[in-house]
Amino acid sequence: MTQPSPQMMQVPVPSNSYPALAGRGLVKYYGEVVGLAGVDVAVRPGEALAVMGPSGNGKTTLLHVLAGILTPDQGEVWLGGERVDQLNDAQRTVLRRRRLGFVFQDNQLLAELPADENVALPLMVDGVSRREAVTRARGMLAQVGLANEANRRPGELSGGQAQRVAIARALVGEPQAVFADEPTGALDAATGAQVIDLLVGAATHRGAAVVVVTHDDAVAARCHRVVRIVDGRVSER
Amino acid sequence: MNPMTSLGLRFVRRPGPGGRAANLAAFGATAVVALLITFLIAGTLGLSERNDRIGWRVSVGGDGREAVGLVRNVDDMVDGKPFQRLDLAITNDRRNAELPPPPGLPHAPKPGEVYVSPALAKLWGPDLSKRYEIGNPTGVISSDGLSSPDELIAIRGLAPDAPGMRPTERPNYLETWRGTSTDARIAVLFAFVAFGIALVLFPVLSLVGQAAGVAAKRREHRLAALRLAGATRGQVLLLSAVEQAVLGVFGAVAGLLAYTALTPLIARIPLGGGRWYVHDLTVSWWLVLIVLVAVPLLSVLSALIGLGRVSITPLGVVRGQTRKGITPLRLALLVVGPVMLGVIGSGGALLPLVIGVGFGALAVRVVGPFAVQVIGRILARTAKGPVALLAGRRLVDDPKAAFRPVAALVLSGFVTGFLALFMPYGMNSDGRDTTFEFSTKPATTAAVAQDAKDRLAKAGLQGEVTTDTNAVEIVVASNDREGVRTVLYDLVPGRVPLTDAEHDEHQAGLYLDMRLGVALLLGVVFVTGAASTAAGAVGTALDQAGPAKALRRSGVPLSVIERASRLAAVVPVVGVGLPVVGFGALCGLVLSGGQVITQGSSGVVLLFGQVVVGLILVTVAGAAGAPVLRKASVG
Repeated sequence: MTQPSPQMMQVPVPSNSYPALAGRGLVKYYGEVVGLAGVDVAVRPGEALAVMGPSGNGKTTLLHVLAGILTPDQGEVWLGGERVDQLNDAQRTVLRRRRLGFVFQDNQLLAELPADENVALPLMVDGVSRREAVTRARGMLAQVGLANEANRRPGELSGGQAQRVAIARALVGEPQAVFADEPTGALDAATGAQVIDLLVGAATHRGAAVVVVTHDDAVAARCHRVVRIVDGRVSER
Repeated sequence: MNPMTSLGLRFVRRPGPGGRAANLAAFGATAVVALLITFLIAGTLGLSERNDRIGWRVSVGGDGREAVGLVRNVDDMVDGKPFQRLDLAITNDRRNAELPPPPGLPHAPKPGEVYVSPALAKLWGPDLSKRYEIGNPTGVISSDGLSSPDELIAIRGLAPDAPGMRPTERPNYLETWRGTSTDARIAVLFAFVAFGIALVLFPVLSLVGQAAGVAAKRREHRLAALRLAGATRGQVLLLSAVEQAVLGVFGAVAGLLAYTALTPLIARIPLGGGRWYVHDLTVSWWLVLIVLVAVPLLSVLSALIGLGRVSITPLGVVRGQTRKGITPLRLALLVVGPVMLGVIGSGGALLPLVIGVGFGALAVRVVGPFAVQVIGRILARTAKGPVALLAGRRLVDDPKAAFRPVAALVLSGFVTGFLALFMPYGMNSDGRDTTFEFSTKPATTAAVAQDAKDRLAKAGLQGEVTTDTNAVEIVVASNDREGVRTVLYDLVPGRVPLTDAEHDEHQAGLYLDMRLGVALLLGVVFVTGAASTAAGAVGTALDQAGPAKALRRSGVPLSVIERASRLAAVVPVVGVGLPVVGFGALCGLVLSGGQVITQGSSGVVLLFGQVVVGLILVTVAGAAGAPVLRKASVG
C-alpha cells in the first residue's frame, strides 16, 4: 500500500477563523420520529470533526442536513458565510457538486469507469473539458498515492485503493467541506487508519472542513474534534 | 419442506429493497416469452388445422386406377372479388360410397350440384346462377371444410366426362376425399413460421436468460452472502431454482392468459385468405402443459447458469469481476456466412433457406457484441462530456449485455435487409384491365373466337374479338364486368374469362400473405426487443443504483446517468443495426444470385419504418429503467 505523501499529513487547526460550515438549531422530523432535536455545530476551515453516537440517533441525518441532501424542518445551515438551507433542490444540487465533497462507506465508484475517469466525472458534469478534468483527476490520484492505478477500474483495485479513489473524487473539485459517512466501515483497521489519515490530511491541508460520521473510536481519534449525537442532540466530548 | 425451498418461497414473497422491481421485470419478460412461444406453437398448429380441412383439395397425382374422383381448381371472380371454383367429378362410385365425404360437405357433389362457402353465399346472385346453371347453391360448406370463415370458394359437381375432366385432358386425380397434402398458400405460411422461428429463436431464448438475470441481479449479493455464511453450492442453487421457478410459473400463466385474451384479436389477422376460426388458435391442454413446464424450466436453467459464478466463488460477485474482452475472431463469421449461404442456398428450397437465415442470424448474434465493443471504445475515446463517456465505457465493459436487449431488433434488421432485396413485395399493377384473354390450342382458336362473337351478339353486347395463334382477346364495351364474364363463361372449358389485372388479383393473395407474414415477424421481433430492452434497462438500473445514489448525493444530476443509459441502449441499434441491414441485403443478393427482385419501393419503406420503429421502441422500452433508478437512488 502506498503511503500518503508528507504534504498530506495532518496540519494544525487554525484557531481564529470563521466556521467553514455551521448548523444552528437544526431540527429534523421523520413523521412522528425526531431525527434532530436542535443541533448546533460548527466546523472551521481545515478542521476535521468526527460525529459519533449510537445507531439511529441522528448522526447520518446531521450529515445529510449539513450537506444539503436533506433540508431541516427548523434551523439554519451556513457554508462559508452563506446560508444554504433555503436554497431550492436544483441550487443545492449545484452547491453539493461545486463546493462539497463526499466519501461513502463502500466507495460507490462506477464500475465501468477507470479510476481517473471516476474522479474526473464530477468535473466533467460541471462543464470542465475532458482533457482538463482527467489531468486534474490524475494529479489528485497521484496525491492519494494512486498515480500508477489511474487506468484501473474499481473491480481491479483493493478496498483501500478504491476508497482512496473515492477520496480523490471528493477532493478534486477543491470543496469547502467534505462529508464522509463511515468511510472506513468496509476496511480492516490498518487500511482504515491509512484512509482516514489520508482523507483528513488531504482535506484539511486544503483548508476544507471535514465531517466524518463513524462508529470507530480509532477513526474519531484521528480527527481534531469529536461530537456525540444522542437522541438527536449534541454532546461534545 | 427443505429449508432452502422455504427460504426461496419467502424471498419471492418478500423480495427486499429493489427486489420487487426486479421480480416484476423478470415476471413481465417471462410472460412475454410465454406469450411468444404460445403464439408461435398455437399459430403453427392453427395453420396445420386449416390445412387439414382443405388439404384434400390438392391432388397428389396418380394414374386414376385408385382414384375416387377428379379435381380442377379454377380462378373465378364475382363482384370484383377473386374466388376459387373447385370442380369435382366422381370416377369410382363404389369407392365414393365407402369413403367419408369431403370435409364440410354432406357428400361428394353430384353433377349439377354446387356448394359454396358462407362468405360466397352472401355474394350469390344472378351471374353465378347463370354460370353454374343453378338457381341457388345446393348447400353451404360447413367450417369443417373451410380454411377461414372469409374463404370464398364454390365446389361444383361435374360428370367425369365433362369438358376439361376427360382422361385425354390430363385431369388431377384424388384417391380420397380426406387427403392431407399441403395447400400452396399455406405452404408459404409454414415457410414463414419456419423462417420466423429461425429468426426469433435466439432472441427469445436470450430473453428468457435476461428475465432470469434481472431477478438474479438482486439475488447475487444475497446468495453470495449465504455462501459466505456457509451455505453449500447445491443449497444456493436450489434456493435460486425455487425462486426462479415460482416467477417462471407465474410468468407462464400470465403469458397463457394474455394469449387467450388476445386470441380473438389474433384470429382477425387475415392470413391465408381470411380471418381465422378462433378454435384453430385456441390452446389445447397439452400446449398449456408444455408452456407451463418449458418456460419455468428454461427460466430456472438460465438463472442457474447466470448464478454459476456465485455458487463457485461468492467473493466473485461481492468484489465485482472484470470481464474478458471479445476477440475479433468473431468477424470470421461475417465472411463465412454469405459464402455458406451462396453454397447451400442456391437451390431455392425452404430448408437451406431457413438454415441459411438461421446461420446468418447466428453470425449477427456472435459478431454483434464485438461490434458494440468497438463502437463503445470509439465513443468513450472521443467523448467530450460525461454522458457519452459513461455510455461508451458501459458498452466496452459488457458488450454482450449491451447487445442482448437489441439483438432481436438488429436481427430483424438483418432479415429486413435480406427481404428488401430478395423477396418480391409488390405486384405489377400494370396488367391490362380491359381485355379478357384466353389461351387456346391453335386448332381451336378460330372456333373459340367465333363462339365469343356469337355469344356477344346474342347478349346484345358490342365487342372486339382478336386472335393470335394460341390466344383470343376480347374487349367489350360494357360496364357490367360480371355480366360479360357470365356471357363468356366456359368459352374454353376450365378457363374463366379474366383480364390480366384480375389474374394478378388471384396471385395477390400470396403476396399479401408475404407482406403480412413479414409484418407479423417484425411484430414478434419488436415485442421481443421491447421486452428485452425493458428487462435490460431495469437490470442496468439495479446495477447502477448504488453509484447513482452516491453521485446524486454528490450533486451529479440523475439525468446524466439516465441519458447515458439511453445512449448506451440506442448506440447498438444504430451502430450495429444499420450495418447489419447492409449485411442482410448482401446475403439476400448472394442467395438470389445477384438479382434484385424487389418491385416498387415497399422494401425501402419497410426498412425505413423498421429503423424508426426500432429506435422509438428502444427509447421507450429503455425508459423502463428510469423509475427504478430514480426510486433506488433516492435518499
